[in-house]
Parts: sequence; structure tokens; C-alpha cells
Amino acid sequence: MYTALQIETPRTIPNTKMRVAILEDDLSQTELLSHWLQLAGHHAHAFEQGAQLLRSLERESFDVLVLDWNVPDLNGIEVLKRVRSRLHSAIPVLFVTGRNREDDVVMALREGADDYMVKPVRRLELLARLEALARRGRHGQQQADVIELDVFKVDCQTRTVLRNGKAVDLTAKDFDLSVLFLRNVGRLLSRGHIRETVWGPNAVVTSRTLDTHVSRIRNKLGLTPDYGWRLAAVYRYGYRLEQLDPSAARPRDGESKAA
Amino acid sequence: MVQAEGKEAAAERSRIVVCLDKDLEPIVTRFLGRKRGELPVLRDAVQARDFEKIRRLGHDLKGAGEGFGFADLSAIGAQLERRAHARDGKAITEQIEAMEAYLAAVEVRFS
Repeated sequence: MYTALQIETPRTIPNTKMRVAILEDDLSQTELLSHWLQLAGHHAHAFEQGAQLLRSLERESFDVLVLDWNVPDLNGIEVLKRVRSRLHSAIPVLFVTGRNREDDVVMALREGADDYMVKPVRRLELLARLEALARRGRHGQQQADVIELDVFKVDCQTRTVLRNGKAVDLTAKDFDLSVLFLRNVGRLLSRGHIRETVWGPNAVVTSRTLDTHVSRIRNKLGLTPDYGWRLAAVYRYGYRLEQLDPSAARPRDGESKAA
Repeated sequence: MVQAEGKEAAAERSRIVVCLDKDLEPIVTRFLGRKRGELPVLRDAVQARDFEKIRRLGHDLKGAGEGFGFADLSAIGAQLERRAHARDGKAITEQIEAMEAYLAAVEVRFS
């Protein structure tokens, strides 16, 4: 007998790495899912126990959760309930489980899961579903190569940022950081999330370094209330970029203040 | 001599060749090693009539096998899970034998 498993390169949206938390107690399954995600350029974080994942969610942000149903301690449904009720999180949740009964699927969706897949799952379908969930989780924010938002125009191909039509001088890291925030306006991003997305999963970056970069893009891009923006630090968690009520912002005539 | 050749020919006929991407090699090798290590665990569980353990191992095999490229292992896992629910020791033993035969016959080629 002869079987060949074709690995196709999935089409992923450029510059949109996902940070995915996986709750799964079968090591083989965890390795496989993590491998598939990494091949597609995403970051996978595995948790064997529900309580472990919930603790992490108190200090870390993810783009999508992948939950298995049957895990030790808290099962996937209990984790989902707590994510929705206690953590008040609307993070997209995909169930990946061996339970295939209709009432299981219905229960998971009614408790707040966004999608449901029965194992064994297919690689490209899993990635497509995760990307669709992450896209919806970003509430339609711009994921294309060119981001046009307020006075900003960001071109991810040429790696340039224009503010009111004028190029802003940014280092490579500052550019990546700017893109991350401008793609996630209104969303609280943990320090771990920022570090991993901008510097990579294995980089050692101190809090001070991260704060310095954030401070620099705040000044260079004018992400301050004067210009209708706020890039705020959230104590012991991370940062959130908010667009303030446009009517409350002052006229944007102060190019000398920013850039 | 004739008998030895016959065995080799039989082994060749029963060989299952699975071709996988090179980058899967480390995790596939670990997966197959783990599954081979579960064979004595399954046999002990049948002896002890620990059907919950068999159900769980079958469930995991069903969930992961096909994703790694081994659809037959997923099918065996599904059978193990089903037979464990039915507490059918004889049918479980047959599935363990099928799993052992598959793991002995499978040859993975990475490219």
C-alpha cells in the first residue's frame, strides 16, 4: 500500500500572524497542530490543562483559542464558560474535539464557541477556519497589505508609513510595532503578544526595550490625545491603541509635534 | 531458503509505504514511537478490563492518526473506542493486533 500526504502551502493573509492558544492533552495532537500553525507562520501556545490556560489568559492576549473537550481538570466547555463569563472575553473560540454528536456541537456553540471541528481535522481546513475566526475577531479591521486609517497610510509591501501624506521615519521594529497596533485598534495586547509578533518567539526583549519602542512610535506617529489617539499602557499587562472621538480631537495642524 | 524468500516476499507485499514531507519527520517519528509504546499498555488494559483507558487511547489515536498521514490508525482508534464502550475484550484484542501489524508494516519515506 502506498500513501502520499501532500503538503500544500496555504494562502495566508500577509503580515497577519496569529497567536493561537491550544488546549489539548494529547501530546501527539498538540505537536501536530503546533507544527501546522508554525508552518503557516503563526505562533502556537499549548496548554494541557484548562486551569493553566485560564491563568495565562489573565496576563496574555491571543487571537484565537483552540479547545479540546476532554482534558484533565476543567474540560473545554468549562473553560469556554469561564472565558465568556468571568474573563468577559469575546476572543474567537474553535472547538477541535473527537466528540461528534449533534448535541455536543450544539452545546459548544450555545456556550459561545464560534466554530466546531471533529477530529481528525484536515490541515488546510483548520488553518482556513482559524484565519476566518481571527479576521472576524478583528471586527473587520484592515488586514490588507495597505492600511488606511485616519491620517495614516501604511504599505506593508514597501514598509512605509505616511502620516498626512508625509513619510514617517521608522526603524524596522518600529514599523512592525506600528502595524501591529494599527491592525488592532481598541484591542488590549499583552506584552508577550507584542514581543512575539514584533521580535519573534525566541527573542529576549526586556520590558524597558519594549516600552522604549512604544514610546518612540507614540511620538513619531502622534498617537496622543492631541491628534485623536491614545496609546495607553495597561499596568502589568500590555498596551492598547485607541482612536478617540474624532470630534474631540484638535485640528491636525501640528505636524511639528509629531514625526 | 525457499521458505526465507517466501517470508521476505510476504513482508514486501504487506509493507505499507507512506510518503510525508521532510519537515514532519521529527513529530511523525515521535508519534509512531508513542503508539508502539502504547501497545503493551493496551494489552495490559484488556487484561485488567480497564475499558476507560482503552477508550481514551483509542480516542486519541482516532483524533491524531489521520492528521499525521495514517488514516488506517485513525480507523483502528475509532474501533478501539467503540469496542471499549461495548466492553468487548475479544474485539479490542483484534484491534490491538491490527494496530501492531500496521505499525510493523508501515514504512515512512520523508522527502
